[in-house]
Amino acid sequence: MEPTFDLPDSTDWLDTPLKLLAPLESSLRCQVCKDFFDNPVITSCSHTFCSLCIRRCLSSEGKCPTCRSSDQELKLRRNWAVQELVEAFTNARPSVLDLAKGATKGGSVAAGIEGADTEEPVTKKRKLEDEANGTETKSDEGVRTRSQSRGISRPVQPAAIEIIDDIEDEENIPDDGLVPCPICQRRMKNEAVFRHLDSCTGNQSGSTEPKPAAFGSLSTVPRRPFQDATQKPPERLPVINYSLLKETVLRKKLKDLGIPNWGPRALMQRRHTEWMNLWNANCDSKAPKPKSQLLRELEVWERTQGGSSSTPTDTTSTVMRKDFDSAGWSASYDTDFKQLIANARKKSDAVVRSTIPSASPVAANEPQSSPVVEASEEVTISEVPASSAAPALSPNPPNGVVLASTLMESAPPKWIPGVQHNPEDPDL
Amino acid sequence: MSSMTQNRLFREYKTLSENPPDGITAGPVSEDDMFHWEALIQGPEGTPYEGGVFAAELKFPKDYPLSPPTMKFVGGGVWHPNVYPNGTVCISILHPPGDDPNHYEHASERWSPIQSVEKILISVMSMLAEPNDESPANVEAAKMWRERRAEYEKKVREEVRKGLGL
Repeated sequence: MEPTFDLPDSTDWLDTPLKLLAPLESSLRCQVCKDFFDNPVITSCSHTFCSLCIRRCLSSEGKCPTCRSSDQELKLRRNWAVQELVEAFTNARPSVLDLAKGATKGGSVAAGIEGADTEEPVTKKRKLEDEANGTETKSDEGVRTRSQSRGISRPVQPAAIEIIDDIEDEENIPDDGLVPCPICQRRMKNEAVFRHLDSCTGNQSGSTEPKPAAFGSLSTVPRRPFQDATQKPPERLPVINYSLLKETVLRKKLKDLGIPNWGPRALMQRRHTEWMNLWNANCDSKAPKPKSQLLRELEVWERTQGGSSSTPTDTTSTVMRKDFDSAGWSASYDTDFKQLIANARKKSDAVVRSTIPSASPVAANEPQSSPVVEASEEVTISEVPASSAAPALSPNPPNGVVLASTLMESAPPKWIPGVQHNPEDPDL
Repeated sequence: MSSMTQNRLFREYKTLSENPPDGITAGPVSEDDMFHWEALIQGPEGTPYEGGVFAAELKFPKDYPLSPPTMKFVGGGVWHPNVYPNGTVCISILHPPGDDPNHYEHASERWSPIQSVEKILISVMSMLAEPNDESPANVEAAKMWRERRAEYEKKVREEVRKGLGL
């Protein structure tokens, strides 16, 4: 995700003479994701949303987000008229916006010689466009326009829009100072391209329709499996009543679907729901994406909201995993542990010797001595599994006393990093 | 989903900064973390909060907009029946429809994915103007508001003045 990416939205019209297009654009956007409708579907209460957005809402609340009447995903119907409106609008948007902005400039700079003034910005833009065309692949103006006007990668990209895009002319190439990725044609800032290329999967354009041969040689198309998309129309997945399923059955079900089946039951349920939503929303698309693409989208979900995410409320991340190999862990770090324990002993012995002789100097010495001790103690604790740390460090009382006092004034010790450590404020 | 969440937050940020409602400013604390915002709300005119500027922080869950953000006034909290003494705002638009421990809110007033930061902040502004004492977050403030309105208003004005460093 490029944080610097400039997302187009309806406010783009506000400082142009075409202010009235802002509400038009808002009405072509989904109220949930605020992006243009993507595979729009209509509910039984006649509200329209992106297929994926409403499916997610229905599976979490069972209610229409707009009017809160109950609905079921089975009752969703595709809304082709809206889809065509969105396609037509997004195609026209860049050129209309350019024109509107040009008119603003011409009008405000000098009202007198409008002709010359409005002419100038336009020709400049043309030049930029020509330069851009000269240096880039010529095959795919449409996709570029589409991705510019639609914003960054959506979870679901309707390939349908590309079909229309193919027939549009070069006038529509946006003059936004951005350049397209040579693989996926997504537009981004010049300096962001190289970083993006490291992670580009080429899925924006490559996955949904076969490319012209000339472009195919450049792209990642060859390593993309098309079988799923081209052979048969995907079938919808039914909603599961999870409470009727045993955990083992659910685990097997996920395996049969070809999606990860690790983690506790609640996580598997959430993962299945997300997969069902991704899958069924894909079924609403004119040109469904291959399964591999959906699996990548599920991976993104896993990283941000599923089992691989670390949210403060997520209890799975604060408890040591069941399959954590503690024997293997302590075996492979055995020498490290022993050395750290020995170091800690030495340090705390030194502190005991320097502080025990009289009671009052303890307080006086603390500021100088404690930082060193704290640091070493903390390292020790954090590297050693709790089970071996406690017995190793506690046997002789003086050590224990010093340890406790130095630890008290330091930050709470971190336990095994990455396994139990939870830095987030719990009272959210 | 995460890219959807971030895109949506980014769009809301853009809309708020290009077309802000009167008396409201809001945006992410840093553009690296779209899930943590800061907002400034002006005290509504004609209320004891008039003249005050109230800072709040908003924290968004990873599944926003399916779940609502939380909102908390920072820097001393706000003396108000619907604001907890620690500053956390308690209004219906911030509560998911599924959970209504107090049984006094209409489902239609509560969070839904079509709500937005802008609507939350506008609701909070009108909450400052018209407290709801049915299920107060700050019982003391609610009692004072109901029974000793003059004292309540005086206290609020003092807090506002203190907040401005006067």
